[in-house]
Amino acid sequence: MSIFKSSSVLLLIVLAAIVLITQSVFTVDQTQRAIVLQLGKPVGGARGPGLHFKLPFVQNVIYMDSRILDYDAKAAEILTKDKKTMVVDNYARWQITKPLDFYTTLRTVSRAQARLEDIIYAELRVALGQFTLAQIVSSKRAEIMELVTEKSNAALTPFGIEIVDVRIKRTDLPPENQNAIFGRMRAERERQAKLYRSEGREEMAKIKSSADKERAVLLAEAGRKSEILRGEGDAQAAAIYAEAYNKDKEFYAFTKSLDAYKKSFRDNAKMVLTPSSEFFEYMH
Amino acid sequence: MNWDWDKLNEKRQRNAPPTPPDLNKIGDEFKKFKDIPGRFPGGAKLIVPVLILLWLLSGIYIVQPDEMGVVKRFGAFNRLTGPGPHYHIPFPVESVLTPTVSQVQRFEVGFRTIGGREGSSVSQFRPVPEESLMLTGDENIVDVQFIVQYQIKNPQDYLFRIAQQDETVKNAAEAAMREVIGNNKIDSVLTTGKLEIQNQTKKLLQSILDKYESGISVVAVQLQDVHPPREVVDAFKDVASAREDKIRYINEADAYLNDLIPKTRGQAEAMLNQARAYKEQKVRQSQGESARFLALLTEYEKAPEVTRKRLYLEAMEEILSNKGVEKTIISQDAASKTTPLLPLSTFSQTPTAGVQPQKGGQ
Repeated sequence: MSIFKSSSVLLLIVLAAIVLITQSVFTVDQTQRAIVLQLGKPVGGARGPGLHFKLPFVQNVIYMDSRILDYDAKAAEILTKDKKTMVVDNYARWQITKPLDFYTTLRTVSRAQARLEDIIYAELRVALGQFTLAQIVSSKRAEIMELVTEKSNAALTPFGIEIVDVRIKRTDLPPENQNAIFGRMRAERERQAKLYRSEGREEMAKIKSSADKERAVLLAEAGRKSEILRGEGDAQAAAIYAEAYNKDKEFYAFTKSLDAYKKSFRDNAKMVLTPSSEFFEYMH
Repeated sequence: MNWDWDKLNEKRQRNAPPTPPDLNKIGDEFKKFKDIPGRFPGGAKLIVPVLILLWLLSGIYIVQPDEMGVVKRFGAFNRLTGPGPHYHIPFPVESVLTPTVSQVQRFEVGFRTIGGREGSSVSQFRPVPEESLMLTGDENIVDVQFIVQYQIKNPQDYLFRIAQQDETVKNAAEAAMREVIGNNKIDSVLTTGKLEIQNQTKKLLQSILDKYESGISVVAVQLQDVHPPREVVDAFKDVASAREDKIRYINEADAYLNDLIPKTRGQAEAMLNQARAYKEQKVRQSQGESARFLALLTEYEKAPEVTRKRLYLEAMEEILSNKGVEKTIISQDAASKTTPLLPLSTFSQTPTAGVQPQKGGQ
């Protein structure tokens, strides 16, 4: 009986020791940081990863994530400087840098996210309102993200939060504007297609007409040269004739006249002759 | 048998690291405690060392070739271990995580592979337009589908620096791609700029992930399909065919040119040859006729009277001997008295009627 009693007492002592140890020792994971509250009042700074000790029962431990956390905002419509509506979907990466501040101001991650939502959305809207749609989409994008990160950070410092990065994930247009863009894209392409086709026709007309012109020039040139050649022929012939016929002009006239008569009086001619002509000289 | 038990134990540890006080240990204490009075001599003496042995064995863990072992001591990072069997001080002092590091992770943006196994040719794709439609720098919209491959380069950062690792990479990839597309014009996105876009996106994504100290290395960003949105794809296709049309028109015109000019050159040469022929013909004809005249003239000069008469009479004979010529002879008196009547209508109709001419001398 006494043996059993003493062993029961021992068991109780051991159990009590175990409870005491688990109450006074705590570990913090590599992904976490912890603050120790003594009856609700923070004691010491934040504890990093590893094994730590605390007073049992009067102190309790609050763990907080020390990793870079994700905050994915809902897509929101924003008005740009050039009065265009765009749907911006952004996300932020943030981290609890001062666990104590965080705990006293926000306490939970979900409340922190609600605060992030308010601040980032407001900063984003202000920043985007200073630029045109084209700037937001291309040249100023990185600058805007940096600006928003900086501004949000300043606003979030009291909460023990640091924003690593605010990033615009998607910049889309509302469906109705999207259709307008599609219409414009189509019109642009049609314009391009028309340009190509009419450029083709232009080239075609140029080439064809230049070919026609070349043809006309070639033929005219050939005509010019052939007239010169013909003229040369005529001139040379005239010179040759003149040289020969000049020997006896009268005889030339005679022979040429006879030839001409022969050629002139052919079939279907009617001649009225009188006996006085030279031909009838011997008929009298 | 021990080995299995180890694994089970290890798994349990991993699943719930901050478990309440170790049952084994309590058991140990309990058994030891009971052992003192010696009520269960044989059993207790055996159970205690076995339990202690099992506890010690639970520190054995194996790292697979594609994994890294990350050992935490009291939750704090302690050391990295490579593939193979290793030992850590059993729970609750140390615990181990084995993330897969050498394997390349892959995810799709703008589309999802459905059905069929990954990499097989029969797989089908479902587009995800809310991810793939992007604005370009010149305020056009393109449909961009791409994949990202990444690897864990630093398991320590990967495990302890960032939460929601997968979402992080995916969000960053989308943001990076949109930023790069936003800096490009639609034509370069659709045509020549693809390689450059991949490289820029990869670089930008890597710099974003480095900024997060994510421990992730981007292996590749690959554009899968980049095309104009469905709503305007026809117009884009028409531009391509218009470009072809342009080339076709030019080719047609060139064909016309190639056909016409040689033909014309031939025609021009023909004209010139005709002219050359005319010239030669004229010259030679004149030479011939002159020679004939001069020859006749030589003879004529020898006997002018006779030759002249002969030529005249021969000519008249030739003319008047033609049956087709109607000849009328009237006296000089009659000729001077008659009123000339020219019956033009009958002239040509009855050419053969009338008096036969008297030929030759009488």
